[in-house]
Amino acid sequence: MSGKVVVTGMNIISSLGLDLKSNWDNLTEGRSGVRKIRLFDASDNITQIAAEVPPEFEEYSRQYIKKRAGSQMTRITRICFTCAREAIAQSGLNFENVDKTRCAVILGVVNTGNSSSEKDTTLQNSIFKNMTNAMSAWISMEYQLMGPNFVVNTACASSAYAIGLGYDMIKYGQADIVIVGGADSIINREEIAGFNALYALSVQNDPPWKASKPFSKDRDGFVIGEGAGILILESEESARKRNAMIYAEMAGYAISSEGYNIMAPMKDGEGMAYTMEKALKNAGVSTGEVDYINAHGTSTELNDRYETMAIKKVFGKRAYQIPVSSSKSMIGHTIGAAGAIESIITILSINNSILTPTINLDHPDPDLDLDYVPNKSRKKDIRTAISNSFGFGGHNATLIFKKYPNFAQ
Amino acid sequence: MVKITENIRAEVTGIIYNFFADECEVDLPTINDNTNIIKDLDGDSLMFLELIEIFKKKYNLDIELKTIGKYAVKHPVQTIGELIEMQMRIIEFENKLLETDK
Repeated sequence: MSGKVVVTGMNIISSLGLDLKSNWDNLTEGRSGVRKIRLFDASDNITQIAAEVPPEFEEYSRQYIKKRAGSQMTRITRICFTCAREAIAQSGLNFENVDKTRCAVILGVVNTGNSSSEKDTTLQNSIFKNMTNAMSAWISMEYQLMGPNFVVNTACASSAYAIGLGYDMIKYGQADIVIVGGADSIINREEIAGFNALYALSVQNDPPWKASKPFSKDRDGFVIGEGAGILILESEESARKRNAMIYAEMAGYAISSEGYNIMAPMKDGEGMAYTMEKALKNAGVSTGEVDYINAHGTSTELNDRYETMAIKKVFGKRAYQIPVSSSKSMIGHTIGAAGAIESIITILSINNSILTPTINLDHPDPDLDLDYVPNKSRKKDIRTAISNSFGFGGHNATLIFKKYPNFAQ
Repeated sequence: MVKITENIRAEVTGIIYNFFADECEVDLPTINDNTNIIKDLDGDSLMFLELIEIFKKKYNLDIELKTIGKYAVKHPVQTIGELIEMQMRIIEFENKLLETDK
């Protein structure tokens, strides 16, 4: 096992913006990206709202994607690629100056979004658009990286798994730099109907921005979001060698399976608690050191109840002193991208000493009594924070990030 | 079998030039018969297949892709000019393309 794994670049594209700054500004202002669906006519769907990436994305992306390559990508692959280009630019990396055989790409990808919402699919590009490995492949090709590039699918925990696997590759000396993260869009007629059939989605269509309300007593399901989150993980040695800005240390993580149910989490949050405990142990972090939890917080009845129970089980009485907030209240559930986007929000919270809020928490569930940072962001010094992701199929992940001592904005 | 005329040659040349200018986002005047498809235009092999489909539809050609593949192995294409010549032969000889090598 080598030295520390650090984060040297990151970027988010979501319903709240096309770059990191606009996302952060909107998150700290407590704004919602949820609107009436524009990607297709949802008037026949029970749920008619989602957190879509702004339509200005296509124009914005042209500076990063050549026309021909863009025609071979789905819209969400273009979102992922654009997000990665900017994260890499932000990291200051010049791949000509590093050993490309030691640079990898690992992304969480549930699907490529080649659905009925996708435009301009032809026989010539349908295979490329459907390849679930396309997102990591395009990034790898752009920079001629020769380390492994692959994707991992563990539903809503996919990009958290990708980050964990990237961490391991560096920790065990198999890579110096790993581009990790994920992207997802399931805003299409079929999948919304499918999730409606499972009673998983909010049906509170009006007003859209009030629908995602984690930990509220009137929560009725998650709101679908879309977007991408990309982080540059790097060995501390490599980052220091090139005088890179270090945004945070990734201290450890855990992934686990519940072996229980294809949809529901294990009762009383037992699997979630086990995952958090295992992550703390892996990172060598005590429960007393954790200053903030970025919750999975989906706004579903069971997740929010069980995640609260799990946090209490792991942290005991101290659970009441740890702020817990859900970014999904503002950007919806970005499925395969959620783990990465929320990890980045966690790191930004550490570096800016600001907790992003859980918005729409006007009527708290009396059974859920932790500090969920209701409705308004808050100043707080954060040295260690965790990010939870839990997926259909019982895929759990907890990632742990620490403030990097020399970080200065 | 299509009898090649000057009009057909001009039409095929125009389609190929415009296809590469459009797909590779380069100005049309920068393309000539000596332009290297990979090195100069950052093109790819899929473009070749897309052009074959365009011409198959346009001239109602009876030719199998494997025939073209076998021919291309013996006559690799690197430049726009070479590609035009190959497309002319495909249009002219269709499935008898390989016989022209004998």
